[in-house]
Amino acid sequence: MRDPLNKRLGRQLREELGKYVIIFLFFVMMIGAVSGFIISDTGMINAYNESFEKYNIEDGNLEFMLGPDKDTIEDIENDGGIKLYENFYKDEETDSFDSTLRIYGERDEIDRLCLWEGEFPSADDDIALDRLYAQNHDLKVGSSFEVSGRTLNVCGIVAFSDYSALYEKPSDLMFDNDMFGVGAVTDAGFDAFNDDHLHYNYSWLYDKSPADDVQAQEMSEELMKTAAEKAMLQNFIPAYSNQAIQFAGRDLHNDRTSMLVFLYITMVILAFIFVVTTESTIAKEAAVIGTLRASGYTRGEIVRHYMKLPMYTLTAGAIVGNIVGYTFMEKYMAAAYLGSYSLTTYSVSFSADAFVLTTLIPFVIMFVINLAALTRKLTLSPLKFLRRDLTRGQKKKAFRLNTKIGIMTRFRLRIFFQNLSGYIVIIFGIILGYSILFFGLMFGPMLDNFKEETVNNMIADSIYVLRMPAETEEKSAEKAAMTSLETTFGKYKAEDVSVYGISENSRYVKIDHSGGVTVSTAFMNKYGLKKGDSITLTEKYGDKDYEFEITGFYDYPSTIAVFMDIDDFRETFDMDEGYFNIYFADEKIEDIDEKLIMSRITEDDLTKTSRQMTRSMSGIMTVFKWFGVVMFVMVIYLLAKLIIDKNAQSISMTKILGYSNREINGLYVHTTTIVALLSMLVTLPLVDFLIGAVFKMVFMSYSGYFAYETDLTVMVKCFVTGVVSYSLVAFVLNRGVKKIPLAEALKNAE
Amino acid sequence: MFLELSQIKRAFGEGESRVEVLKGIDLQIEKGEFCVLLGPSGSGKSTLLNIIGGIDTADSGYISINGEKTADMNEKALTKYRRKHLGYIFQMYNLIPNLNIKENVEVGAYLSDQPLEVDELLKTLGLYEHRHKLPNQLSGGQQQRTAIGRALVKNPDILLCDEPTGALDYKTSKEILALIDDVHKKYGTTVVMVTHNDAIKNMADRVVSLRDGMIRKNYLNETKLTVDELEW
Repeated sequence: MRDPLNKRLGRQLREELGKYVIIFLFFVMMIGAVSGFIISDTGMINAYNESFEKYNIEDGNLEFMLGPDKDTIEDIENDGGIKLYENFYKDEETDSFDSTLRIYGERDEIDRLCLWEGEFPSADDDIALDRLYAQNHDLKVGSSFEVSGRTLNVCGIVAFSDYSALYEKPSDLMFDNDMFGVGAVTDAGFDAFNDDHLHYNYSWLYDKSPADDVQAQEMSEELMKTAAEKAMLQNFIPAYSNQAIQFAGRDLHNDRTSMLVFLYITMVILAFIFVVTTESTIAKEAAVIGTLRASGYTRGEIVRHYMKLPMYTLTAGAIVGNIVGYTFMEKYMAAAYLGSYSLTTYSVSFSADAFVLTTLIPFVIMFVINLAALTRKLTLSPLKFLRRDLTRGQKKKAFRLNTKIGIMTRFRLRIFFQNLSGYIVIIFGIILGYSILFFGLMFGPMLDNFKEETVNNMIADSIYVLRMPAETEEKSAEKAAMTSLETTFGKYKAEDVSVYGISENSRYVKIDHSGGVTVSTAFMNKYGLKKGDSITLTEKYGDKDYEFEITGFYDYPSTIAVFMDIDDFRETFDMDEGYFNIYFADEKIEDIDEKLIMSRITEDDLTKTSRQMTRSMSGIMTVFKWFGVVMFVMVIYLLAKLIIDKNAQSISMTKILGYSNREINGLYVHTTTIVALLSMLVTLPLVDFLIGAVFKMVFMSYSGYFAYETDLTVMVKCFVTGVVSYSLVAFVLNRGVKKIPLAEALKNAE
Repeated sequence: MFLELSQIKRAFGEGESRVEVLKGIDLQIEKGEFCVLLGPSGSGKSTLLNIIGGIDTADSGYISINGEKTADMNEKALTKYRRKHLGYIFQMYNLIPNLNIKENVEVGAYLSDQPLEVDELLKTLGLYEHRHKLPNQLSGGQQQRTAIGRALVKNPDILLCDEPTGALDYKTSKEILALIDDVHKKYGTTVVMVTHNDAIKNMADRVVSLRDGMIRKNYLNETKLTVDELEW
């Protein structure tokens, strides 16, 4: 015979339809979003991993200061156990819009291209462009644009397998697919550009591939020494540390972990919501349970009965969530990545991983938490249920409250303590909702602030980096020296440090010239440096270490830099008297041959991080904002409603006594209001701290520095959003209180 | 007339399952009167009490208290009516479980401009030493005393009692009845008590007997007994 208790399920569902619909929708949303994410992420990770072999991605690349001869190449290949592939490029400025386009010739052997649309170049003025760069400049197959005076026709949209993230330089904190792009032309088309901006870049493949990153590091260090002995190196970057190759893969992997952690935290909170609501149902139905137990129903049968609705809700949510995930959300999530990374083409297939991670594990979490809570609750004897005494051991005693406190306040305090477990879940829900909301709200202002700070603290409008010293008549130009070293903080990845030599009477950089070095505030903040500390920096392409004592700080918030007197600089790096290789200038220098200028650092270069982040993240931040609000509303509503349902009889009784709805709301809803508002106020700094800590942790692995700063407006916005969301909940709750009939008190349920 | 009921009708259900619970009740109760509504289960006595208490509404007819008709009142005015005039005692006490005994009484006191002194009342009710306990730590009789305290503390004009001794043993029932009788005498409170215990009619000023939704008997009790003299 079928379990007759099953007949109650439909009725129970109808009675609490609102609750189950909200939980169902939340499951759909969570599982839909996460499974959509995992599916697209898995497809992209697979495509990314396969791309190394499929497109023959390099083991690294190096750039020679001057074009090497054939013998030098052969020597390096033989001594270094590698094969070098010519992979020259020219960094050209686009005329049709403001950007730098890195142009490569044909790539048949190494770092091959993945064609998204159109075809590879065949004519001299054909160009295959990176998909995102093309998209950012409204270029499609068939479009034309001007580069260094030449008109190029877009013949194809491609992904460069070695540029899945469009990092212009290895030392960049962030890529920028608006101001920087890559394109491939025919070899003849490549030669048609003049050689002013030619980079003698070679990619290499080891004869015997390294087994892992550790071995790759050892091999690359050896190779660097070998290459540096044979030619002047301008650049040397092994694949394992090349952000352009690695960043997207790491981000895909890290986001997957974050998303799953987020899903499981949400599931645990949801499970506790279910536990609290089921416990309330048990309290309400204690006499029924007692009667059933007394009639011979086993504890297992009752536990199963009360677990059915939560598990059915989850199952329904999981099915619909997976459908939504595979259809709509997959595309949405993929679009977020394809909008940031220049990934190769990928395909979506059913992922057992995604099913286990997004469906099976949440199912198990819900099942275990519910089972444990219910089993514990139902260990009480049938008699206790019949007597509606669900306390364990001795009867609960009332703790005393000072009678000088008004009765209404004492009443509220009693309600608070009666529903403490619910309120604790509410507080956790608020923290989680807040974190999501906070994350969604803080990014825009933080990026703006970063940009503003960076621009306000620029040394000069431009920094010209020269290939060799050259004189200028430009009045605003000031000579200085610069080199690159690397950090040697053991526990952190080595990163580039720009070391500047500054003239004593510099109008651009005011530092102490009496010995020691001044470090940028970015450097100070990132590594927690103090005045008097000693830092050791090392040569990038050598093994010489330099130790400096910090004597001061210079307000330079986005670049890891060290400043010293120019004479000290020359002495430290064995340079001739009068040596310089950069100019600081507020006006454009017109009288130096372009060939002698290696690069010009402007506002655009320093602010590319904030621009790219704004572009990559603004869409997803909107999702975060709404998700945070939904989380807020859902958790608070479900638990606050539970408090009302649990106290329906008392509410009805207070109505009979003559309390107005307003007064009753003042007791039952305002207690929740006070808890919610106080939690929102108190947890805000906590959430700020937590996000700051996570942020710092994440950004320690990035090059450069990005300060975590939240201004008061973000806090205020977050709080106001919380209050507005809660007001909506309070409005519905007030209506709920109003709807409780006076006759509720007449039900025989004391 | 202090409390007047005129042609009160009330039915539940629709169509064939429609049951007329009250079929036109006319009743007048004087201020300070102790009225017992007697009748078997299903006679409509509790429904009538709920309509007097503003918990339920009549399909037709009216109730007037001191000349004010409840049918003309909106929800707000009805709340005010209950707040100002009524005290309610139920068979199952209906105490607020998370408030202690004193706080349950104070919940009633809060509603009145001139409440009785809570501690004094608790002493009178024999609950003073239990004032810090929760309702579930007390016996049924003690809980019912608390409910009486909550109803009385606001000094109501009418005390509505729905089977106040229904869940209590003989001895406790008599204690509770004595308490209600004392209050009635001491404060001149009008009492309307629903019971199916025939013996209780003997302590009332007025006895109204209901059957099948109609008043069968309505008379003034000329031979009132004290609670001690009641036997069942």
